[in-house]
Amino acid sequence: MRKRFAKNKLNSLLLLAPTLLLSAIFIYGVVNGILQGFGYMPFLGKTQLTAEYYLKALSRPDFLRSLGFSLKIALVSSSLSLILGVVLSVLLLHARAGKVSRLISLGLPLLSAHTIVALFMVSLFSGAGLISRVLAQFGLISEPSQFSSIVGQPGGLGIILVYLWKEAPFIAFVTLAIMENISQKYQESAALLGASPLVSFFTVTLPLMYPTLAKAFIIVFAFALGSYEIPALLGPTAPKALAELAYMEFQNPDLLNRPYAMAINGLIAGITILLTLLYFKILSKEDKAALL
Amino acid sequence: MRKSSSQFFARALIMINIIFVVVLPLALIVVWAFSASWPWPHLLPQQFSSRGLEELFSNRVFGGVLLQSILIALGTSFSATTIATMAAHSLLFYPSKLNKLIRFLLILPFLVATPIFAMGIQVFFLKIKLANTVLGVIVAHTILALPYAAYLMMDAYSALGRKFFEQSQTLGAHRLQSFYLVDLPLLLPSISSALLMSYIISFSQYFITLLIGGGTVQTISLLMFPYLVSGDRTLASSYGLVFMLATIAFMLILQVISRKASKTAALFDS
Amino acid sequence: MNKHEHTLGRRHFLGLASALAFGSAFSLSACNANDEGQNEAGQKGNAAQVGIDYANFEEVVAAARGTKVSWYGWGGSEPRNTWINETLVPLLKDKYDLTLELVGMDINDILTKLSGEMQAGVTEGSIDFIWINGENFFSTKQNGYLWGPFTDYLPNFRDYIDATSPEVLYDFGSPTEGFEAPYGKAQMQMWVDSAKVSSIPKNPEEFLQFCKDNPGKVSYPQPGDFIGTAFISTLIAGVVGKEKFEELSKMNEPTIEAVQEVVQAGLDYLKELSPYLWKEGKTYPADSGALASMYADGEVVLNMGYGDPQVQVNEGSIPSTTKSFLFETGTVGNSNFMAIAQNAKNIAGALVAINEIMSPEMQYEQYEKLGNITVLDLNMVSEEIKEKFESKELGSAQLPVDELLSNRIAEAAGPVIPLLEQLWRDQVPPIK
Repeated sequence: MRKRFAKNKLNSLLLLAPTLLLSAIFIYGVVNGILQGFGYMPFLGKTQLTAEYYLKALSRPDFLRSLGFSLKIALVSSSLSLILGVVLSVLLLHARAGKVSRLISLGLPLLSAHTIVALFMVSLFSGAGLISRVLAQFGLISEPSQFSSIVGQPGGLGIILVYLWKEAPFIAFVTLAIMENISQKYQESAALLGASPLVSFFTVTLPLMYPTLAKAFIIVFAFALGSYEIPALLGPTAPKALAELAYMEFQNPDLLNRPYAMAINGLIAGITILLTLLYFKILSKEDKAALL
Repeated sequence: MRKSSSQFFARALIMINIIFVVVLPLALIVVWAFSASWPWPHLLPQQFSSRGLEELFSNRVFGGVLLQSILIALGTSFSATTIATMAAHSLLFYPSKLNKLIRFLLILPFLVATPIFAMGIQVFFLKIKLANTVLGVIVAHTILALPYAAYLMMDAYSALGRKFFEQSQTLGAHRLQSFYLVDLPLLLPSISSALLMSYIISFSQYFITLLIGGGTVQTISLLMFPYLVSGDRTLASSYGLVFMLATIAFMLILQVISRKASKTAALFDS
Repeated sequence: MNKHEHTLGRRHFLGLASALAFGSAFSLSACNANDEGQNEAGQKGNAAQVGIDYANFEEVVAAARGTKVSWYGWGGSEPRNTWINETLVPLLKDKYDLTLELVGMDINDILTKLSGEMQAGVTEGSIDFIWINGENFFSTKQNGYLWGPFTDYLPNFRDYIDATSPEVLYDFGSPTEGFEAPYGKAQMQMWVDSAKVSSIPKNPEEFLQFCKDNPGKVSYPQPGDFIGTAFISTLIAGVVGKEKFEELSKMNEPTIEAVQEVVQAGLDYLKELSPYLWKEGKTYPADSGALASMYADGEVVLNMGYGDPQVQVNEGSIPSTTKSFLFETGTVGNSNFMAIAQNAKNIAGALVAINEIMSPEMQYEQYEKLGNITVLDLNMVSEEIKEKFESKELGSAQLPVDELLSNRIAEAAGPVIPLLEQLWRDQVPPIK
C-alpha cells in the first residue's frame, strides 16, 4: 500500500511538473512587475521599497473616474455576454444545430483577434460606417455626423460591442458541452415529472450550471478589466480605462516613470485578485457539490 | 407541433446570427483587403486595389513570418494541451490537498492581466537567454494559453470520470496504455478544442511577442499592428485576412482529424 | 470491421499529431540554429570590430562586410517600408555586402525592448540602430543607452550636412552632441478636400471660422499622439506668437507652471474651438490613423500630418481634390534622426547603413518617393543633384520645400511635450 502511495505521489508530481514550472515563471514575472510598482528597480540602483507610486496612482484626479469606467465596462460586457452566451447555447441545442452551424457561430468569433473585431466594428458603426451608409441610402441621414458613431462614444459602447461579439460565443463555447450533458441527463426526467422545458431549464439546468457560469464570468470580466487595446481604439478621450492609463504611463520615455505605470497595473491586479478569492469560494462549493 | 415551431424559431435565430452577426462583419474585412477607396455613402468600394496583396507577396519576409507564426502557434498548442491534459489527469486520479492550489495556479493567468507579466518577465528571459528566440516566445505563449487548455481539459476529465481508465487497468493494461487506448479517444473533442484555443491565443498575441521576441522573432500580429494603428485599412485587413485563413485552416484540419478518430467514442455511448 | 476503423483512426490521429509535433520541434531547433547562426555572424562582426578605428571609414566598411544589421523604427508607412525593402536593402547588399533588416515597431516598444536589454546586461543587443527623435532621444541618451558620438565618422555627414545648423545640433531643444545623425526633416502640413470646403484657413482665427462653417467635420488626434501634439502646438503658436512659443524649445527642465504660462492662451483657444469640432469636441480620435480613416471616408474634411499625402492621392485612397496648406503663422517642424544602440551588435554595419541613408542619391529617392524633406545642405551637393531636387515636379497635394521651411516653428523641447499633453488633457476635453 505504502509503495503504491509513494508511486502515486511520484506519478502525480511528474504529471504536474511542467505546470508547476510554468506557473513559477508566471508568478515570478508578476511579482517582478508588482515590485517595480513599489519602486524596486535594481538596474537603476533603486532598491528601496516605497508606496509613493501607489499613492500617486490613487490620488490621480482621474483615478476614480477611470476605475468606475473600467468596472462599468467590464460588468456590463461580461453580464451581457453571459446572458447572450447562454441564450446562444440554448438556441444551438434546441435547434439541434449541426457541426457546421456550431463551427460558424462559435468557432469564427473565437478565431478572430480582438483587434480585427475592433476594425470591423468601426467599419460598421462609425460615423462613416456601413450602417450609417445604409441609412443614408434610405434617405434617413445626409451627413456622416448625423449618425451617432460608436467610436469614442462616452459610455464605451464601442468597447462593449467588441467584447460582446467575442465573449458571448466564448461563453457559449464553454457551456455548450455541459448544457448538453445536463440536458440529456435531467431534461427527460423533468419532462416525465410534468415540467415544461422552460421551467425545467430554469429550475434544473441553470442551477446545475452555476459553477461553470461563474467561472466563465470571472474569466471574461478579468479580461475586460485588464485589457487596454480595445479601450484605446474605441474608447472616449475621457474617461480612460484604467488599463489604458497604465499603458500611457508605461509609454512615457522617462524610465523613472515605470514604477508609476506598474503601480496602476498593480491596482488592477489587486482588484482581480479579490475576484480570485471569490473564485476559490466557488471552487470549494463545487467540490462539495461533486461529492454529492 | 409547439416543439417544432419553437425549433424553427431557434433555427431562424441561429441563421440570422450567423449571417448578420458573424459572417457579414468578417466579410467586410475581406472586402477592405482589396479596396483602395471606399468613401461615404457608397455601399461598395469605389476603387479596388491589389496593394494589400502586392505588399504581402512582395514583402520578402512575409512567407517566413507566416511560417514562423504558424510554427509558434503549433508549438504552443501542443505544449499547452499536453501539459494541461497531464495536469487534469493528475488532479482527477491523484487527488490531494494541493488540488485547490494547482487549480488556482492553472487559472492565475486569466486573472492577472498580461502586461504585468510581460513587463516583469522580459528581463528574466533576457538573462536566461530565452529572449529573442522562438523557444522563448513559445514558452511565454504556452503560459498564457495553459489556463484555457486546462479549463477545457479539467471539465473534460470531470465529465469522463475515472471508471473507463480503471476498468481498463483491471483488464491488465498499464497506465499509459489505458490512457492512450481508452481515455484519449474519448477526450478527443476536448483535446481538439484545447489545441484550437491555444493556437488562437498564440497567434493573436501582440504585446508579449513584442517584448520577448521583440523584432527578432516576428509574427503576423506584429506585422499587422502598425497598419492598424496608422489607419491603413487596406493593409490591416489584408493581414487580417491572412490571419483568419491561417486559423481557419487549423480549425478545419482538427475537424478532419477528430472526425476520423471520434468513431471510437460512439462505441462507449451508453 | 469496426475495430480496424477505430485503430486506424486513432493511429492516424497520433501519427499526424506526432508528425506535427516533431515538425514543430524540428523547425524550432532549425530556427534556433538559425538564430545561433545569426548570432555567430554577429559575433564574427563584433569580434572583427574589437579595436576598430571608427574614424577610419574604410576600416568600418571592411568590418561591415558580410554582416547583418538591424534597423528598428515605426512600420506603419507602407511606402516607406517598400522604399527601404526594395531600394535601400539591395543597394546596401550590392555596394557593401551588408544585409539590412528592417523591423517595424512603435518607438515606445523599441525603447522598452532596449531598456530591457540594457537592464539585463545584454552586451550584444538585437537593436543596432533606431529611427528616433524628440523626447525619446532625450531620455534614451540620458539613460546612457546610445552609442556615440559618431556623426563625425561619417563621410556623408562631413561632406553634405551643415553641422552648424540648429536643426542638426538640437533635437527638440536638446543638444544632439553627435549621438544621432539626420534622417529627414518633417513639417506639419494640413490638407482639405477642396471639393467640399469653400475656403482654406491661413491662421487660427480663420481656422475657428472654418470650423464654424464646417461644424462636426473637423478634428485632430488626441495629444499623446505625436501628430495631435504637433497640431495643437501649431495652433497654440499661432495664438501666442512664434517667439513666445519657441521659448518652450529651450526649456530643458520645465515645470508645468512654466509651460502653462506660455501656452495658456492657446489652450483657451482650443477650448473655444471644441464645440464646432467632430462630436462637439466631446471626444477626439484616438490616434492619427483613426483621423486618417475618417478623412478617407469623408467623415471629416481636414487632416494633417508630418508630410504630404501625395502617396495616398496617387493610390486613390483619398480624394484627388485634396490640397495641402500651411498657416501664415507657421507650423511646427522637426528633424528626425538615426541613433545607434549602446549595446549594438554591429556598430560598423550601422555606421555604413546610416552613412548611405544620408547620401545625396538616397536622400533624393526619399524626396521623390516619399515626399521627405532632405537634410542635405543643397549648397554642399553636386550641381547635378541640386538640379534634381529643384526641378522635381510637385504633386497636386504637395507644397514647395522652401515654402515649408520658411514657415517653420521649432518644436517644444523633449521634456516639455508630456507636460503640454497633460495640460491639454486637463483643460480641453469636457468633464462629464
